[in-house]
Amino acid sequence: MTINDSDEQHGFHRHGENAFIAEFSESEREVLINLVEQIIELLGERADNHVDDPLAAMVGITSHDSPPDDEVLLRLLPNAYADQVDAAEFRRYTESTLRAKKYGHSLSMRITLKSAVDGIVEVDHDGANDWLGAMNDIRLALGVRLKVEQNSHEELELLAPDDPMRGVYAVYSWLGWLQESLIIALMDEAI
Amino acid sequence: MVKVDDKIEEAIKEIFNGDKPWITIVWDDPVNLMTYVTYVLMELFGYTREKAHELMMKVHAEGKAVVSTGSREEMEHDVARLHEYGLWATLQRGDQAI
Repeated sequence: MTINDSDEQHGFHRHGENAFIAEFSESEREVLINLVEQIIELLGERADNHVDDPLAAMVGITSHDSPPDDEVLLRLLPNAYADQVDAAEFRRYTESTLRAKKYGHSLSMRITLKSAVDGIVEVDHDGANDWLGAMNDIRLALGVRLKVEQNSHEELELLAPDDPMRGVYAVYSWLGWLQESLIIALMDEAI
Repeated sequence: MVKVDDKIEEAIKEIFNGDKPWITIVWDDPVNLMTYVTYVLMELFGYTREKAHELMMKVHAEGKAVVSTGSREEMEHDVARLHEYGLWATLQRGDQAI
């Protein structure tokens, strides 16, 4: 886990009983839309997902039970059991539902962003939870690409200015800060 | 001696060990924010801020923590919800070494 302590901007803040507001510049809004659309695309049907039985598809059973090959997808759709046989069985019956739920979080975030033409995003508690889930999925995806597991934050801060990963790390950090601002706004209510 | 296959043996074990709880474990992850883990535990399990914070700190310090116990079905439900919010969680028998 990690701590985010940047606080020079505003991010999300509480507005009354059940509303959370953030204001984004046009470029920030574009970055967020772009990222969330990539997650939506990633979470779309797996290429290896051939469902032969329409009834099975209806109740969310997929014909595959192997973990995703893609490292990012594997982090988003992890094994539920250490035991491979149990993990495969569980995946067969639940992966499409999990994918649909995550897809739903991202779609919700995308819709709010798309309609916020003035840059002001307003969400209620449920919308905030969608945003948190979606932002977290984006951060998990970027984290895999940045190899956050092996690289400490100090190392990532020291990336060369021309390293494309430096920009990715800046977006990753900014998202962490934005996510944190929404959590703090939500937690105020919980006290 | 009757020969039963593994599936049946498992099912019989399940009947006799029905009250033995299963557990849901949350594992440490370098990406998830500490406040986020606390918030998700409060939101999904209805834990108080103190309890959620304590469990989060245990995950952070020890690399893992048992966040809920119950039947296998209940733990599968909990793990699915934790996965929905991006926490790294697994379930297993409570009497099994973690």
